[in-house]
Amino acid sequence: MTDQVQFIVGTEKRLAEIICADDVMPLLEWGVKAGAGHAALLDSDGETIWEARGGNFNGGEVSCPVMIEGEQAGTLLVRGRGVDGVDPADIAALLGCSLQSLVKASLKRILTTEIHTTVVNQSYEELLETNRQLSISEGKLRELTKNLEQQVAERTAKLERALTRLLQQEKMASVGQLAAGIAHEINNPMGFITSNLNTLKRYAGRMVTMLDYYGSLLASDPAHASLLQRSFRKWQELRLDSICADLDSLIGQSLEGAERVKKIVADLKGFSHIDDSAMAIVDLNAEIDRTLGVLEHRFSVDTDVVKNYSELPGFSCNPAQICQLFLHIIENSLEARPKGLRLIVSTQNENGTLTISFADNGPGIPEQIRNRIFDPFFTTKEVGAGTGMGLSVAYDIVTGYGGSIYVASPPSGGTIITIKLPGQRNRDVTLR
Amino acid sequence: MIEYDELEKRMVLKLVYYGPAMSGKTTNLLRLHDLLAREGLGDLMMLDTADDRTIFFDLLPFFLVAPSGLKIKLKIYTVPGQVRHDATRKAVLQRADGVAFIADSQTGETANNVASFENLESNLALVGLDIDKLPLVIQFNKRDMAGIVPEEEILDNWRSTGIPVIMASALQGWGVWETFARLIELTYAHLDSRYHLTAEHGLDQRSFVERLTDRSRE
Repeated sequence: MTDQVQFIVGTEKRLAEIICADDVMPLLEWGVKAGAGHAALLDSDGETIWEARGGNFNGGEVSCPVMIEGEQAGTLLVRGRGVDGVDPADIAALLGCSLQSLVKASLKRILTTEIHTTVVNQSYEELLETNRQLSISEGKLRELTKNLEQQVAERTAKLERALTRLLQQEKMASVGQLAAGIAHEINNPMGFITSNLNTLKRYAGRMVTMLDYYGSLLASDPAHASLLQRSFRKWQELRLDSICADLDSLIGQSLEGAERVKKIVADLKGFSHIDDSAMAIVDLNAEIDRTLGVLEHRFSVDTDVVKNYSELPGFSCNPAQICQLFLHIIENSLEARPKGLRLIVSTQNENGTLTISFADNGPGIPEQIRNRIFDPFFTTKEVGAGTGMGLSVAYDIVTGYGGSIYVASPPSGGTIITIKLPGQRNRDVTLR
Repeated sequence: MIEYDELEKRMVLKLVYYGPAMSGKTTNLLRLHDLLAREGLGDLMMLDTADDRTIFFDLLPFFLVAPSGLKIKLKIYTVPGQVRHDATRKAVLQRADGVAFIADSQTGETANNVASFENLESNLALVGLDIDKLPLVIQFNKRDMAGIVPEEEILDNWRSTGIPVIMASALQGWGVWETFARLIELTYAHLDSRYHLTAEHGLDQRSFVERLTDRSRE
């Protein structure tokens, strides 16, 4: 028996496929016993399939068609003279009728059995397939349940990080906007302050010249001796000697101050990069300088910044982000040692990798927290004093450019933050 | 096609009466058997259960011989309409040469008609038959009953598909022959394009249809 019946409903069948010898032979044999000399069943080609023979072949021959689905599929042949008045034609009719019923019943049985088998096999296969699919999805589900907690934790951390970064960026952006706005507002009055101071310097010079002229005029005529004396007394009373001597340096210092204000404003504007598009090619050394310029007001008199810059290739980045990165690192050093900070900033180009390090003489970072300092919200400062976002944001910015950031606290003291940025990928970037 | 044997000059075709449960598929075949009583028509074989529901199929066989000697045997089957007999429907539908979809006109049966037609579409695809190419007619049966969907509405709904729609009452015996004749026409066209019945066997559409749908005994 085959595993599966390949059965097409309606397939044509021959007589011998529908009925079998066990069914037919008794009929034929009883036909012979009833008086037929010979009873045979032939297929549609006239070939004998089954036959039963009696003693006497002689006599008439009666044939009777056997039909399948309206077509003649075979012939029943009955020969002989008959015995005891039994007509072979009656035997043939009886056998034919029985055979026809047999064929019909067998055909029904075959059709039902075969289609039943087909359906059962098909259903079983579908069941197996369903079972297979269920097993797969069950496995997935189990896996999912197992990893769900871990995945939730991972996603949460990621989200927290992204949120922090967004908050920080937004803060920086609004600070930058404010700075740029203020810078613009300051630039205008600074313009006329500088220009007026220069004019004032010129005017003051002329007035001093006029005073000198008066003096020399009075001195040249003895008739005005008493007038000269009174004027000289008033001159001394008003201490015009030192005023005249001071005038230049006063105005000069004011102009110098105005220049410094201008530079601070320019740094602030540059640092906020409010005018830049998202990406630009920048000189990282200049960006460090800018950041230092913005933080200058927080330096104490004894703050010492040493710059060991090497020439660096242009770096394609979002300049505001890069300034933000430097700001967080330098701020940390400033907070670690408000007085007497010595900060060594070094930059290097090592085979295309840009290395920037900030070494301070602060208290250093204890080893047990060194692997946590880049985590969001981790802070050693008092509640409310720090957000714990600075180095986390710095980490995100550096990794965002495919770089890495390390922290080291050598036994000699202090902290060294080293940033490595891949400069190679920027080689083809052209300034937009 | 169940079988085509060029040497034996024998072609066995399969037509299937499809549709939801109780829409009158068996009644259609019973009527057809009565209408077409003629030489070559076999007995209607019914494989049903005690409660008269078709669980396997009904079979109505008959044949004709083309002038070339090609013997064309036609076997008409019904399928069980009940949803749970889907595997049987698939088995019966294999290698079908044409399908008559028997829908129930009663308003409450619309959803069943739609579900059954969608089932026909998916099963045809599963047995590798293209519904757009397969000869297909739709019969809306039970037009003698009350509470039926109006003819206009039915025709409007099906017009865009291009499938012939025939109104019928199998119980009263009308529309049955028309459905069958239309299906035979379409089936001939489909066969002729592939087997050149006119050119190679001298059998044109008119004689094919007339001989298979002969109602001379009426």
